[in-house]
Amino acid sequence: MIKVDNLHKNYGKLEVLKGITTTIQTGEVVAIIGPSGSGKSTFLRCLNLLEAPTSGTILIENQDVTDKKTNIMKVRQNVGMVFQHFHLFPHKTVLQNLTYAPMKVKGLGRDSAEKIAYGLLNQVGLSEKAGEYPTRLSGGQKQRVAIARALAMEPKVMLFDEPTSALDPEMVKEVLEVMKTLANTGMTMAIVTHEMGFAREVADRVLFLDGGVLVEDSPPEEFFANPKSQRAQDFLQKML
Amino acid sequence: MNLDFTQFIPSMPYILKGILVTLQIVILAGVLGFVLGIILSLLKISHIKILNWIADLYTSIFRGTPLVLQLMLIYYGSPQIIGYQIEPYTAAILSFGLNSGAYISEIIRAGILAVDKGQQEAAMALGVPYGKMMWDIILPQALKNILPALMNEFITLTKESAIVTTIGVMDIMRRSYQVGAENYSFFEPLLIAGLIYYLMVMTLTFLGKALEGRMRRSD
Repeated sequence: MIKVDNLHKNYGKLEVLKGITTTIQTGEVVAIIGPSGSGKSTFLRCLNLLEAPTSGTILIENQDVTDKKTNIMKVRQNVGMVFQHFHLFPHKTVLQNLTYAPMKVKGLGRDSAEKIAYGLLNQVGLSEKAGEYPTRLSGGQKQRVAIARALAMEPKVMLFDEPTSALDPEMVKEVLEVMKTLANTGMTMAIVTHEMGFAREVADRVLFLDGGVLVEDSPPEEFFANPKSQRAQDFLQKML
Repeated sequence: MNLDFTQFIPSMPYILKGILVTLQIVILAGVLGFVLGIILSLLKISHIKILNWIADLYTSIFRGTPLVLQLMLIYYGSPQIIGYQIEPYTAAILSFGLNSGAYISEIIRAGILAVDKGQQEAAMALGVPYGKMMWDIILPQALKNILPALMNEFITLTKESAIVTTIGVMDIMRRSYQVGAENYSFFEPLLIAGLIYYLMVMTLTFLGKALEGRMRRSD
């Protein structure tokens, strides 16, 4: 469970997040949408402290990650993240990308790390690419490997930062399929996305951010059918 | 032009022995400079201001004064600094290592900054601690990109090592010079020295290309 209370983030004088309060229950899939510059990526990146919050608290599994005494490295081991631009390690093979953190961070032996890795590669349909370097993969394949890499740490929560925005249109589906399967396994997921269809179908809840403010927090049926705020109405009009 | 190399044939083994001396100095100074360069580059990219400042000061001193001066300061200054006279050979390795560390740190710093910031974020998001992230993820990618610049630095080091002659190290340069003095003819032995340096640099260039090719296998 992730509990965010009055989260603020400033860059100098610029206020990017103006007090976000929300809770993401265990097993819940939350889609975070909003116009560009609304602070949705910053919000997501605050959850695993890739951005340091200016004020406010974030509890992940009842641990205050904004507390200086919390070992943030330990917390991050339980929070997987998938980036828009994949960020696979280019000098490591697909298999090594998956086994690196479990071996070096969790201290798993090579055999058990590889066993997990092969299982995950199988799950994302890329077992035959285990020995390839990332440059040899298509965008969709890279993103599926990136998802598998995050899952190899066996996290309790997965964060997705526009996972399909950098992909060619024909590759979006294969990545969304993997995410859908993952959602069905009961994984807690927070997804920043522009894929409205996906948000509507897979998310349990939609968070609509605009100007650093959480404007709407409602189930997708409700959000897409009758958005309460004028800003959400305008946004959806432009998107659909 | 009247060149007579035959009179130097008996002196060849003597000159060639200098290769070992030069190589030893270059390799040890190169390793020292490389390790120092990594440490200094990490200080330079650190968020702690005092560490940046120390590393920048170090670099500015070693880049801002002549190498031959540093060599002599270390050699002739050793009795006053540490209380006893160090060997010329030790002074050579120290000064070259300390000097090239300054240059190499700038090369590595640029290499680290050129690695996509996302790599660091991906490692951080996986809970990889800073040291392991640098060593396993960032530095290998940085080194691949800066290999040509590093090779250049080692080539410079090989050639510049000839100035150890000034403090009496028996390297290729000094041996050739002595042979010249013995025979009252400097031109030929110096040409021989030039050829040896050239071949050493060519070998280094070849090894560098081979290493680069190996590191590019993930492209």
